[in-house]
Amino acid sequence: MPNFNIKAEKQTTYDAIVIGSGISGGWAAKELCEKGLKTLVLERGRIVEHVKDYTTMNLDPWDMDYRGGLTPEEREKHYKGIRSGFIGQDTEHFYANDKENPYTEEKPFLWIRAHQMGGRSLLWGKQTYRWSDLDFEANAKDGHGVDWPIRYKDIEPWYTYVEKFAGISGEALGLPQLPDSHFLPPMELNCVEKDVKARIEKDFPGRHMIIGRVAHLTQPHNGRGQCQYRNRCSRGCPYGAYFSSNAVTLPAANATGNLTIRPYSIVQSLVYDDKKGKATGVRIIDAETNEEIVFKSKIIFCNASTLSTTQILMNSKSDRFPEGFGNDSGELGHNLMDHTYRVGALGKVEGFLDKYYKGRRPNGIYIPRYWNVDENTKSDKFVRGFGYQGGAYRLGNGYAANLEEFGADYKDKIMKPGPWEMFITGFAECLPYHENKVSLNNEVLDKWGQPTLSIDCEWKENELALNKQIQEDAVEMLEKAGLKDVIGFDKKHEPGYGIHEMGTARMGKDPKTSVLNAHNQVHAAKNVFVTDGACMTSSSCVNPSLTYMALTARAANYAVEQLNKQNI
Amino acid sequence: MDRRSALRKTSLFAGATVIMPSILSMLQSCKEVNRIDYTPEFFSLEEAGFLAAFADTILPKTSTPGALDVNADVFIDKVVANVYDKKGQEDFKANISKFNDEAKSAHGNAFAELSKEDKNAFLSVKEKKGGKFNSGVWGTAVGEQEPVSFYRSLKSTVLWAYFSSEEIGKNVLSYDPIPGAYLGCIPLEEVGNKWSL
Repeated sequence: MPNFNIKAEKQTTYDAIVIGSGISGGWAAKELCEKGLKTLVLERGRIVEHVKDYTTMNLDPWDMDYRGGLTPEEREKHYKGIRSGFIGQDTEHFYANDKENPYTEEKPFLWIRAHQMGGRSLLWGKQTYRWSDLDFEANAKDGHGVDWPIRYKDIEPWYTYVEKFAGISGEALGLPQLPDSHFLPPMELNCVEKDVKARIEKDFPGRHMIIGRVAHLTQPHNGRGQCQYRNRCSRGCPYGAYFSSNAVTLPAANATGNLTIRPYSIVQSLVYDDKKGKATGVRIIDAETNEEIVFKSKIIFCNASTLSTTQILMNSKSDRFPEGFGNDSGELGHNLMDHTYRVGALGKVEGFLDKYYKGRRPNGIYIPRYWNVDENTKSDKFVRGFGYQGGAYRLGNGYAANLEEFGADYKDKIMKPGPWEMFITGFAECLPYHENKVSLNNEVLDKWGQPTLSIDCEWKENELALNKQIQEDAVEMLEKAGLKDVIGFDKKHEPGYGIHEMGTARMGKDPKTSVLNAHNQVHAAKNVFVTDGACMTSSSCVNPSLTYMALTARAANYAVEQLNKQNI
Repeated sequence: MDRRSALRKTSLFAGATVIMPSILSMLQSCKEVNRIDYTPEFFSLEEAGFLAAFADTILPKTSTPGALDVNADVFIDKVVANVYDKKGQEDFKANISKFNDEAKSAHGNAFAELSKEDKNAFLSVKEKKGGKFNSGVWGTAVGEQEPVSFYRSLKSTVLWAYFSSEEIGKNVLSYDPIPGAYLGCIPLEEVGNKWSL
């Protein structure tokens, strides 16, 4: 990647400031820079340059001291994050230090953070789906939370816009509840997945099984290379084959000459000017020197990630906003959501022993929501719905360890792949509850002496009812599809495991009950925009990142229009 | 491999708790000799001898390398030394000791000192006991995981150490660091041994 301008010391005034460089921050930076705004991106961690800083991208297991295992010191550093099961020797440098950045779990909550340029865009699952009016109308129809101030038609052109740039592979299905994106060619299902798909679609009309729609390139796209099927994505991809800020949006922003990115910049608060009635800048703490600096700008985009953005807003107190920035409604910090996670079923597949696959596909199957999508699919047990991810594969070491054999013949046998197995696991929508919330904790301070977050969030009746249905349906589908020894499972994961935190500064029509308006502007300070997951009014059951991208591009476009009209 | 030559191994174990009958049985069959020729980071020489004997019994050398040929035991010692926490380390030692006690009750000697036949007989009994590993989804076991015996847990660790070694990963299993494409349904015979990555 060409050199980034990271020398922000001399210049303290910009047209725009973007807080955070993850999925939504990268988009904000790109859009604002391309529209000619001198833009400062504040990143609390280090610079991670595409390719150059992907230090583990080519390591085979034997190249690593412990072949993936973490030392006790590393586990201590990630003492919360390791609960996710995602942190290994190959990726731990991309996960935040839990010791330096504590948070308090009033109820169990897993908060996964990534404090470096690119943030969690380096680590995300890349599952990429459009939301539909089933989602945007949900709150209005069943009365949970407040109504979204937008509908599908408002965001549809922006889905198109971001998809064409990001590159999304997948298969069109024409389902109203899961609108098709502009797709690059889909990845392939394997033999077993094709067989299970055919059986499920025959036995369960209205249910579909497709290959996941993903932000992976299946052909070269906008100068980036296609997926090489190494499945080492979360170490950083040398081909730029999956969407990350590092590989895609930040280089585009940088190419305009308008981007300055300042690493080690922990945003402490927004600066509000009572006379002007708007924010005038951002106060940071330099993570290396502890120096406090104020950067000024005409507009501010908050993209620090759902809870970090809300933490900054809560910490931005002034005479006008004694309860936190833009918090006239009292809803700031409330209505925290995630998706339920790891509830499903798994079974053994008979046959296909002469069949195998080549390549490590960073993707699996997807079963779109089929409950409560129309009158015929209404449940009397829960509102909203769920989708499934999953996949089929041949077994390895775990299977081999279970065989009641050892010795020479055994060793020869386990050189071949084990039998096939398949699982599906649901992601259910979580309702926006006022009492699921975060608050500032002045007792527990971070490494820089700043207040931290306390998180008080739990699943309630509707989520548990959805989970029950997920498990029942999963077992039923896999059994009907001919799998054997099907086990249903519910890992009883607390919120946060989905790593889809949403809400806490929601959009809405009414300033009395929401923090942001239909353009992601803070109702009471129109030059501040929040376009990360904090803005979400409901959670849908599909992965949210594509919607963050589209909302960000839409808001950035609007912000520049308003700036040009001198409205903000 | 030279590193595993029986002659060099014999000298290192001298002075430890070796008694005559087992030395005689070792001399009768080189394959059963379990001596170590590295300095363990964590295990005592006796424990390291156990680990070597165990790994060699699970995955012996055949036309393909055995566990000891790829230093599976050396790697496990390194992992226990640097990755396990204190409790895990203590448990490991206690489990080895218990395992050896059981071998003594059943066959009159610590595991490493048993004849090949006795080792096989002892492990065959172990195979029948305790839970099996539940399958996992994205790194977490699903369902109610029954307690897994030390035997099966260590067997699994040996498999990991073996299959993640460079020699097996690159030269014995099918190695394809940059597949370039995903083909979802191909004849197994086109691949041969399972993929290493």
